[in-house]
Amino acid sequence: MARRAEREAVVTRADEMVLEAVRDATAASRAVRIIGGGGWAEAHAAITPDAIALPTRATAGIRAYEPDDLTITVGAGTTLAELDAATHPHRQFCPLAPPGTDDATIGAVLATGIAGPTAATWGRPRDLTLGVTVIDGHAREIRAGGRVVKNVAGFDLTRLTVGAFGTLGVIVEASLRLRALPAVDESWLLTDADAAAFASWRRGPYAPVASAALDEGTLVRIAGNATFVAAARAALRACGTITSVDPRRWHALRASHPRALPPLAWSPLAARVKTAFDPAHTLNRGLVPR
Amino acid sequence: MTLAPPSAPTPGIAPADRVALLARCRAIVSERHVLESPSALTVYESDGLPGYHRRPTFAVFPGDRAEVLAVMSALAERGVPFVARGAGTGLSGGALADGTVLLGLNRLKRIIALDPVARTATVEPGVVNATLTRAAAAHGLHYAPDPSSQSACTIGGNVAENAGGPHCLKYGVTQNHVLAATIALPTGEALTLTRDDATRGYDLLGAFIGSEGCFGVVLDVTVRLTPDPEKILTLLADFTRVDDAAAAVSAIVAAGILPAAMEMMDQATIEAVESSVYAAGYPRDAAAVLLVEVDGAAVGLDEDAAVIEAHCRAHGARTVRIASDATDRARLWQGRKKAFGAMGRVSRSLAVQDAVVPRTRLAELLTAITAIGVAHGVRVLNVFHAGDGNLHPNIPYDAQNADESTRVHAAMREIMQRCIDVGGTITGEHGVGLDKLGYMDALFTAPTLEAMCDLRTVFDPTHRANPGKVIPVHRCREWRAAPNARQS
Repeated sequence: MARRAEREAVVTRADEMVLEAVRDATAASRAVRIIGGGGWAEAHAAITPDAIALPTRATAGIRAYEPDDLTITVGAGTTLAELDAATHPHRQFCPLAPPGTDDATIGAVLATGIAGPTAATWGRPRDLTLGVTVIDGHAREIRAGGRVVKNVAGFDLTRLTVGAFGTLGVIVEASLRLRALPAVDESWLLTDADAAAFASWRRGPYAPVASAALDEGTLVRIAGNATFVAAARAALRACGTITSVDPRRWHALRASHPRALPPLAWSPLAARVKTAFDPAHTLNRGLVPR
Repeated sequence: MTLAPPSAPTPGIAPADRVALLARCRAIVSERHVLESPSALTVYESDGLPGYHRRPTFAVFPGDRAEVLAVMSALAERGVPFVARGAGTGLSGGALADGTVLLGLNRLKRIIALDPVARTATVEPGVVNATLTRAAAAHGLHYAPDPSSQSACTIGGNVAENAGGPHCLKYGVTQNHVLAATIALPTGEALTLTRDDATRGYDLLGAFIGSEGCFGVVLDVTVRLTPDPEKILTLLADFTRVDDAAAAVSAIVAAGILPAAMEMMDQATIEAVESSVYAAGYPRDAAAVLLVEVDGAAVGLDEDAAVIEAHCRAHGARTVRIASDATDRARLWQGRKKAFGAMGRVSRSLAVQDAVVPRTRLAELLTAITAIGVAHGVRVLNVFHAGDGNLHPNIPYDAQNADESTRVHAAMREIMQRCIDVGGTITGEHGVGLDKLGYMDALFTAPTLEAMCDLRTVFDPTHRANPGKVIPVHRCREWRAAPNARQS
């Protein structure tokens, strides 16, 4: 118990240091460049070169995890690999699966908000985020959302933060929705497919968890209980030739995804949001128009 | 009798403004779609939650988008506050206008487009939830969010409240089904927010959904339609201990099964339902019944149902039965969907709550709620979405009885604090509105509430849209900084 309190104190200190860094930078009219796992070189290139580096990795750690609730609260510096290591022993996972590798931090995954191949079935990062603690450009600690799976109290600052590329606030903590690992989870490569039959299979009751068009065919992932998966597989086989694929193929696909910084959609309303939360453009200055 | 602390006194509208606005509104929507006599306005003084009464200065009902924008521009010109309203079925007092203008959107009820291939529909805000599902039925589709008021509530209201329903356990709440919306800002300026834009920038659509009418109004909304499941199985399990039922809920979820819905009713609710015209055949002597529904592909569904049944029995269920056909299933659901109505039979007023707690704390909270009820001499009826820990503790009472009302509100306040203490929230699907304003300070830190207020200001710089709701006024920077602001 004492050990847990000690750990929480350390974690809080890491969050405080982020707050102090933002406060000091704003006071000195400087900008900060938010750094998670360091994988977003493309985004960093767009940030003003004199920005002060603000590493967030020190916030890492599992802060609350009650497996039966299927929710977890982590420091933003926690990596996807560390999240998996915590949840897999309980046969659970968080289906974020963003482009990139598993040394990406949760903070970066949420800040970029880019969905992976399972988004249509298991949710986009913003659908899986129950709450976030962020430090905005006023150096305010905003504790948005919560830790429960259903919550409509107040205005939705969580959704606003996810996908904002750190330009509204530095994420220091996040609470995420988890899922139980499916009983059976198979990946197949479909070749020589009858396009119409496959399209109809995909829209029907056997809709896959994910599918991706590759040069050599279509990668398909089906998951559920054994009876369901067997029937789905049989129906898929009727669409063409199927070959079993190592599930790590999905990881390779994610890693090869281009990481170019997307042009952010901008509007007068978006500009007003930016002004409300970071008027001095302290956070990742250069990513959005000034 | 209200739970809410004093909010900002809503301004009276200057008599000259009122006269001029009434004339403008009549010119825009015609004489018969403006109501101002006290008798005509009576129905608009309350919403689905009994106990609150607020009278608008007048009510205006535009018939199309152009009329909505014209009315909103007229209101903006004179700086007059307004409250948008759909069917008025909300359970938080959110659609009440206290001396301000009530903007009724229920006449905008066209289904603009329904695309069965893309599985989307674009509708006006006044389209009734169940009407959309009926229109989609011919294509084997439905609109998934299913609040208990779905036969009356409107999609516009659903978007404003981010409405849920029993089946959102599997299918998600309104937020997960809205792809785009054209909105009118309180200035009367129309703009379109889409999910696509949100993938490359700020999720303004996500921020708008659930903003309880404080950010503007919906002119049209594009939603995703969901394919009807091939097969549905509904199980009813009854328990002699509430703790056992709660433990069964956790076990089912931990087993990796995601039911479409998982609802629990306690003994007091069972009694209310079974004594009403909505009697569903729940065993009257059970401490709790659990209604679990699984749906999806026909293949493999029986296996899921068997696992659920096994977990219920392992946790002490006396009987588990599976609805034999659609009629039987509808009957089992009727008891759940009409539970509020059945409680209404018990007494004149009903305090309704909507807290959410972590699923693992359900049993503990139910015990605490019973004890709090006993301590205050009130009877709490629990009916809730057990799968996501969304409790609806309800207390029937007589609002005319001042002593009883005081005890009911004291009990509710304790229950809500208990839910907050275990890491829960004060509303899972009903919204804050007026009713839960008094709990916001206990749930959120001051900087968080201030940030929420800042977001409201982005959409509505003069705070004219649904003033005095959602965020306690003393938490807003501008309000503190400008005590002479028009609305304070």
